[in-house]
Formats: sequence, C-alpha cells, structure tokens
Amino acid sequence: MSRIDRWFEGMSRQSARRVSRRSWLSRFGGVLMGGAALPLLPVARAAEKHQVGEDGVKGREGDPRRCEYWRHCAIDGFLCSCCGGSHTACPPGTEMSPVTWIGTCRNPADGIDYIISYNDCCGKTFCGRCMCNRNEGERPLYHWYRNNDINWCGGAKTQTYSCSTAVVVKAAKEAQPEK
Amino acid sequence: MRRSGKLLGLMVLGVGLLALAVRAGAELPPEDVGQVMRLPETAGEHWLWVPDRLFRHSALFDGDTGRMLGAIDSGLQVSPRAPLWSRARNEIYNVDTTYSRGHRGERHDYLVIYDSRSLEVKGEVELPPKAADTGTGIALVGILDGDRFIVVLNQSPGSSVSVVDLETRQMVAEVQTAGCAAVFPAGPSRFGMLCGDGTAINVHLKPNGELDRIRRSASFFDVVGDPITEKGVRDGSTWWFASFEGLLYEVSFGSDSPTPKAPWPLFSNEELEEGWRIGGAQHLAYHPSTKRLYSVTDQGGPGSHKDPGEEIWVYDLPAKRKIDVFSAPNLIAPFLGPQAGFDAEGTVGSILSFVLPNMGVHSIAVTQDSKPLLFMRHADLGAVGVLDALSGDHLRDIDETGLSGALLVVP
Repeated sequence: MSRIDRWFEGMSRQSARRVSRRSWLSRFGGVLMGGAALPLLPVARAAEKHQVGEDGVKGREGDPRRCEYWRHCAIDGFLCSCCGGSHTACPPGTEMSPVTWIGTCRNPADGIDYIISYNDCCGKTFCGRCMCNRNEGERPLYHWYRNNDINWCGGAKTQTYSCSTAVVVKAAKEAQPEK
Repeated sequence: MRRSGKLLGLMVLGVGLLALAVRAGAELPPEDVGQVMRLPETAGEHWLWVPDRLFRHSALFDGDTGRMLGAIDSGLQVSPRAPLWSRARNEIYNVDTTYSRGHRGERHDYLVIYDSRSLEVKGEVELPPKAADTGTGIALVGILDGDRFIVVLNQSPGSSVSVVDLETRQMVAEVQTAGCAAVFPAGPSRFGMLCGDGTAINVHLKPNGELDRIRRSASFFDVVGDPITEKGVRDGSTWWFASFEGLLYEVSFGSDSPTPKAPWPLFSNEELEEGWRIGGAQHLAYHPSTKRLYSVTDQGGPGSHKDPGEEIWVYDLPAKRKIDVFSAPNLIAPFLGPQAGFDAEGTVGSILSFVLPNMGVHSIAVTQDSKPLLFMRHADLGAVGVLDALSGDHLRDIDETGLSGALLVVP
C-alpha cells in the first residue's frame, strides 16, 4: 500500500470515527464550494486551537457545538447546542426527559473523569443539526442506562426525540473501560 | 388500359389506407385513470426493505433491478421497526408509534396489518404505548415460527414484551422481562432475550400466547469488559452474537434454558493489535445453506463498535475460520448523484468514488436463496450497495433509497 493510500485511509478513518457523518458531508460540500477553505489556513487553525472554550478547555474539545467537545464522548444524537438550546439546556418548546443514559468523559482541562448525563430533549421532531455519534463506554441495549441507541424521551410527556444535552452529574470514581 | 388504371387506383388507395393506419397507430390510446399496482402473490427472493428514519417509511426494493416496488409507512419513532412478513397469511406487520397531534399529544402504539399484495392496511391491534424505540430499530420486534404470534419489546424504561395473537387479532399478554432486552424468535412459542447480568433467557409461551415460563442461562459473557451486541443472526433456534472484541458466541434457544457454547475469535491477536474490530449497526448477516457469516469490520480499535466498516469479513461457521474479505462500495457518489444531478455510474461518479474516502457501511443483509445477494448501507447515505454474496463482486448500487437509517430487512 502506497503512502498516499495509507494517508487517505488514515484520514477517512479519523473522519469516520471522530466526526459526525452528516457534518463530514456538509464540510465536504463546503470545500467543493470553496467556502470552507479559509478556516483551513494555518493561522485560523492555530487561533481555534488556542481559544479557550467551555469548562476551560481549549480548541474544539471546548466547543459544545462540535462533536469533539469533551463531554460528547458517549453521545448519539443531534447536539442541542446547535438547535436553539445548549449543552445543558433544551431548545425552546421542548421538554428535557428526566431518565437518560450516562457516559464517563475526561475533561482535558483538569484531567478528571466526569459522569455525563445525556438527557434528551423531547416533544418536537428531529432537530436535524450537528448529528454526533461517539461511543466511549457505550454498551448494548440490555445495559439500558449506558446505551445511546435508545430513544430516552421515554420519561417525557411526549416521546418525540429532538436533540441531546450533555450535563455534568459529578466526578467519576473510575474511567471508561476503554481508557 | 382500364384494368391497369383500376390496379393503379387500388394501389393508391391501399397506400393511403396504410398511411392512415400508421398515423392512427402512432397515436396513444386513451388510458384508464385510477390504476394502482399490486405486488405479486409471493415475495421475491431478492427483495429488500429499506426503512428510513426521516421519510418515516420502509421502502421495498428489488435487488436485481434496483426498482422500488412500494412502501409502508412507519410511525413517529426514531427509527421504523423491522417490517415482518408472513407468507402463510399474505400479510405484513409493522409496529408504529403515533401521537394524537402529529408530533405531540397522546401516544398510541399499533401493530398495523397490511395485505402483502396490495400493501393496503387491513387491520390493526392497539398495543401498550411503550414499544421500545431505538436509533437502529434492530431486534425490537419478531414473528415467531408458524406465524401465529408477534412479540414486541417494550421500554418504559423497564423492560417487558407484548405478545400479539395473529389468529384473534388481539394482544394476549405482556410478559415482564426486567433486566433483559431485544427479542430473538426461536420457535412457534418461544423467544430469547439477552440480559444485563451476562445471561440469556428463554421465554416460553402457552398455546394461547400467555406466559408459560421463563428460563435463564448461566452468565456467559462480560457485560462491561467485552459485551456481545444484540445484533445477532439466526439459523433455526440457534443465534450467533459477536462481542466488541470479536468473540463469536453461539447460543441455542431450542431447549428449556438457553445454552451458550464456548466462543471463538473472529480476529487473530495480530488483527486485534492492528485495530480490527466488529463495527456498525446491523453488522452481522448469515446465509444458512452455505453457513457463511458476514461481518462488517473496521479498523477503529476499542470503542469502534458502532463505527462503519469498509470491509466485510466472511467466515465459514462450521470451520470457524475466515474465508474471504469483501470491500464495501463507496456509496457517496450513488447518494449524491441524484441530488446533485450527475450520473453516479458515469465519469463524474467514477472520479468522486476514486477521490472521496470510502465511508464504509453500518449494516448488511443477505438473501436466503442459492444465488444470494449481499446488501449494505451506510446509515446516513441514501444508497444501498449490492454484492454477489458468494464472490463478493460489486453488482450495482441502488440510489435514492432514502436519507437515513440502519436497518436492512430481507422479507
């Protein structure tokens, strides 16, 4: 396998694993149109890398509108931060489901593992923006509270799924099995 | 002279009539308004359901031609549940969740009954409004052998299973199955489930569909360290499940209690070190007569159990060894082609497929005949790749199959 093949393969795997599939497509579309070329410039990328975001975290891992945001390590859904809500609040007119699945994510700013509650926002249909799927510590359907496939709007008045939040519950006593 | 003049006249008349006939033939006859297609009496061996989360329906395709044959609607759940097909009853069943005011209001869940030839709704059975809803729709419903009972997983968030009798068109039981999930049909009155303590259960029904007994296996897999996925494949009362780290477990649900066998590895130690893992959504498929197991495989390492894979590894189950590796087609061009107005099979499509990274596939399904097709889809690309399941040759792509979804169902 040539170096170019390996580079391309590596790039596609990174893309597939870390980034929302739809966002990959939209970025690709942007590149085709030329509009997304500017942020790729070294200066812009360096500035983004050093910008301090949520929770004292720099770069994309500190941006709740990014799939790379550190709290999103076990999320599967549309990011409420892109839907009129935030990473801790639902968009207007929706209801936060009280029952949920949890993950354990490490905050790169303080190195502490936190239990994250991915409460779904319910009562309106799919937000449709910032789809993100990461599965650190995610477990199959029979392990209910660690499964991110389930529509967790089961505890809300209407179980229509709109988007997902990422709320800190507390510091965890141990890391994810994959860590 | 007179005779030749008559002959000439007749010839001119004949040519004129012929010209009139040709002109009349060129005009299309009036057509009947109100025609509606019907499906054949029996389902084709190469047919495929492609459920879609965003269009909220399950579309039926012919894998040989790529033609869409029809569709049935789904409710407002995240993913349509798998359509169930009874050849004996000429019926299709779909479990739908609905709300009284569109996306809000009072919830009602139904088992909707369709005529399998007209695709018209011919009846429904109301279910408890708590049928489980997941992003994949996998292993949430099942039709038991003999086509008498349908089982529907509930999640509220406690687990139970609704049992519907297709003879009486009534729900006959709600079986409490705390701590267990997914339904695996394993006989006319029996289905299995996987449980959060590393066990499996057999749920035995009475002849009328009510609960007879539940029997539990010993614990046989590590729920936290290396869990098995609920995306299993079936041959009779035997099911196979793969663990995140690639151990393949065979579980027989054919006796009183589920009987698991010792697992065997789908990956060598070297392959594991290279990052190869099972991955995707409906990541396994099984062809009974050749006893081939197909597994979506990615190189994402630990934690990549839901990532799409670019390769389909093929195993001989009795021999417990890998016999082939198929490449998943790049489905970006077939997906974008109809949206962007280019021919995915033309030059632009070929260039894009060459230049763009292959995003792989999440889900596969194989037809059960002697010339099987292997279908595959990426959950967010509305196209289905079709391979010869024996040779791995890429036969065709079916475009515009929808927008989003992880299920593929061979009826």
